[in-house]
Amino acid sequence: MPRKRSLYSTQFRQFGPTRRRFLQGSAAAIAGVTLSNCRQNIAEGPATDETTDAAPTDGGGAEPGVLHVYTWADYTNDALVEAFKEQTGIDVIVDVYDSNETMLAKMQAGGGDAYSIIYPSDYMVQQMIELGLLTSIDKDRIEGLDNIFDKWQDPAYDPGNTFSIPYAWGTTGLLYNKEVVSGTPTDWEYLWENQGDLSRRITLLDDVRETMGAVLSSLGYSYNSTDPAEIEAAFDRLIELKPAIASFMSFGFEDALFGGDLNMVMAYSVDAIAATLEDERMEYFVPESGSSVWTDTMIIPVGAPNVDAAYQWINFNLDPAISQMSTEMLFNATPNKVAFDNLSDELISNTDLFPPQEVLDRCEGIAPVGEATALYDEFWTRVTSA
Amino acid sequence: MRLPAFWPLPRTWQGWLTTALFAFMYGPILVLTVYSFNDSIRYTSVWQGFSLKWYESLFQDTRIFRALQDTLFVAIVAVAISSVLGTLMAIGLAKYYFPGKGVYRGVSYLPLIIPDISIAVATLVFLASLAIPLSIWTIIAAHMVFCLAYIAVVVSSRLGSLDPNLEEAALDLGATPAQALIQVLLPQLMPAIVAGCLLAFVLSVDDLLISSFTAGGGANPLPLEIFSRIRNGVKPDMNALSVLLILASGMIAALGEYLRYKGSMTDG
Amino acid sequence: MTASPTSKRWRFSQLELGQQFKRLLGALTLLAPPGLWLILFLVLPTLLILDISLVPGLRPGESGDGYGLGNYSRVFNPFDAAFDSVYLQVIGRSLYYATGTTLACLLMGFPVAYWLALMAPRRWRNFLVVAFILPLWTSSLLRAYAWISILRPSGLLNSFIGWLSGGLPGVQLPEQAWLYTSAAVLIGLTYNFLPYMVLILYASLEKLDISLLEAAADLGATPRQTFWQVTVPQTLPGIAAGCLLVFITSMGDFVVPTLLGGASSMTISRLIYNQFLGITRNWGLGSALSMVMILAVSLMIALLLKYGDRDSVKEA
Repeated sequence: MPRKRSLYSTQFRQFGPTRRRFLQGSAAAIAGVTLSNCRQNIAEGPATDETTDAAPTDGGGAEPGVLHVYTWADYTNDALVEAFKEQTGIDVIVDVYDSNETMLAKMQAGGGDAYSIIYPSDYMVQQMIELGLLTSIDKDRIEGLDNIFDKWQDPAYDPGNTFSIPYAWGTTGLLYNKEVVSGTPTDWEYLWENQGDLSRRITLLDDVRETMGAVLSSLGYSYNSTDPAEIEAAFDRLIELKPAIASFMSFGFEDALFGGDLNMVMAYSVDAIAATLEDERMEYFVPESGSSVWTDTMIIPVGAPNVDAAYQWINFNLDPAISQMSTEMLFNATPNKVAFDNLSDELISNTDLFPPQEVLDRCEGIAPVGEATALYDEFWTRVTSA
Repeated sequence: MRLPAFWPLPRTWQGWLTTALFAFMYGPILVLTVYSFNDSIRYTSVWQGFSLKWYESLFQDTRIFRALQDTLFVAIVAVAISSVLGTLMAIGLAKYYFPGKGVYRGVSYLPLIIPDISIAVATLVFLASLAIPLSIWTIIAAHMVFCLAYIAVVVSSRLGSLDPNLEEAALDLGATPAQALIQVLLPQLMPAIVAGCLLAFVLSVDDLLISSFTAGGGANPLPLEIFSRIRNGVKPDMNALSVLLILASGMIAALGEYLRYKGSMTDG
Repeated sequence: MTASPTSKRWRFSQLELGQQFKRLLGALTLLAPPGLWLILFLVLPTLLILDISLVPGLRPGESGDGYGLGNYSRVFNPFDAAFDSVYLQVIGRSLYYATGTTLACLLMGFPVAYWLALMAPRRWRNFLVVAFILPLWTSSLLRAYAWISILRPSGLLNSFIGWLSGGLPGVQLPEQAWLYTSAAVLIGLTYNFLPYMVLILYASLEKLDISLLEAAADLGATPRQTFWQVTVPQTLPGIAAGCLLVFITSMGDFVVPTLLGGASSMTISRLIYNQFLGITRNWGLGSALSMVMILAVSLMIALLLKYGDRDSVKEA
């Protein structure tokens, strides 16, 4: 498999020999391990270790017959897990993350050895492919991929679905309590205009690309801007709003929103729809100046244990009946034609779940920004640290 | 002004402040307890009637019990090994004089001084650099560091107040050093060892940071699960869980404090 | 370096070779296993992050920009092009939280410890002290979680304030969003660390020589004079140890700022966490911040050891 090798080892030779000898000597004297070797391992990343690459092994002591799934906080429930167990006899253990970036950090830190299935979003799939973290999907073991809408048969983030299988899609927008918010908000702009009234009663996603993207979008720039001046302008605008922001959180705002502690939150459609259906005071919209439309996928990481079960899980989720069930229970829009056709009229006509084309036309998919990633991270660190 | 002899309330402002701060310390725990019986759909601060439903939902929550199992496994194994190592270290430090002892003692205090986050980061980097896959065993290895340090400190302070003549007498009477250690020294140290183990146990069970950085292979100790639930939305059964955990740790605490009390009594 | 009576008895020079060997064997059996463990899982890892902190931009999968002080100068050197004042701001905020917590704990903890040690009914003392520190034994996450329900805008604190304002005409207390503010973090931290402070001060006050207080009173000192000129100086080592302990632990606390602090409560330990398990993944910078924290804490301990009383440090 082609993999970007670390440059670290060549870099290291450029250092002065004295320092190198000192470090190597002192470390070797302590435990016979040279620090240089240690650091080289980090630069290469534990997840891409040769040994785990060659043979899918029992990663870090995960039990056989158990499938560890690493997914978004709102993407499975006990009913789905039970149904899978009934069908295959495999126990599923679900761990959750709250952003693509924290998932990547966990994988790169070596804490994700047990997971056989992960649910990165589109741009993260691309990034993980570049980092060599994904195994290519054996299409012979996949059933029902042709049920997916044409739109996702050859997506830009992963041409030909070589490494990932589309699982669900949705939008990002604002969710608010009609009773306490004045007027009818239609755009991101509302946050800045009503900053005073909303003070400490709004939350934004704890997600660098989504939140920075939303602000870029409100300024008329692209969600995927790589122009440092535009990113900086977005940063300044976000800092302006900062005093009104109670917290950055991606999940778990429901209690506070229903209880009246929050008035407006930035949310993924999945959670927003659940909220609007649970409490009729809640309203969700995709801002006019544009927002993100995302696709979350299922992937098998390099070195995953229990690959057979992983394929079974993917096929289980590609089953139109199951895909329909998860849309009905969890409100993630299905990319599955057959499942979509079987949905109730009520759900199909729910414009939060399946927005009309003109809304989608305003939205953008988040794409990797290459070199600018560091810039986004830096500004995000400043926003959250200021 | 003289207050009547049976006056049940504090007589001074310090007494009143203490009473207020007792309320401060126990208030949040009381709040959790009350809400754990609240018959609400979501977690609200409005009382909606008495119900045991959150306890029922808690007992059906297999994730919590898996997490609890992981936590107890980590704590018991880490504390069991550390109790031996920590006691050995305390005795060794008390008995022997050797060059570099100051450094050794200093290192043994480090886990008590260095912030958790730094220990956690260092351990992660170390494990990553050796490409050791993270698992429940790496959590145990990392927990042993602070467990053995705390046990050693508690045992050390007890050793300082022991009569060294007893062990010497045993040696003079023909006991081997090992016999003297096991039959004379250990029984005297036992209360301190148990107290140290309880302290280490509680710290291990409560640890979030070090576990976060060293957990892998599907191991998911309870603090990680609780943290993830608080961040990602909680059902009120967390209240029920808190109440049960507080009851359990209260009992451990009572035992621990009793042992400490007993230990301090025998010191004279 | 004074040798204790036991070690004097065992001076190596006075021993025969065989005994010396046995002695060495004994020391090795007792001290080598825990020592090795600490070296392997504490000393070596710390040296490793010291090394890594010297490589700016080191991330998993990326090699960084060679050796240099870049990570440190980014945080501390205003003349560096990569300097970002936000890191100093975060360090400052951590110090602010730690200072505030320490002061609050001292101001509230001292009278409590004083009452428990000197004024409480004698036979209740042990029980009361144990009862006061009992909440320490419960999960710190769940204690912070409990505060969420109290501090949220629709929570108990605001209900209580509203009730007070209603009950006392003319007194209008402001109801406000407590959760996700610095106040929430300070309350949570004080709640966490007050018992430690009380415990240490209690141990110190308990040893106070009562006859000194009586003598002072006999010589005509007012209670105030007695307090400031006898009690406080006598317990100064305890106060120093308690403050240091609370300061260090509250500065490194992760749970309270994360759960109770909102958008503007980044602390140094959260920042370090984010460099490894959050979005940034800059291991080099994270290691540098971690080293800064270790050095700061070590420096404080060293100062206390040098100028303070050793026994009270040990107690802490």
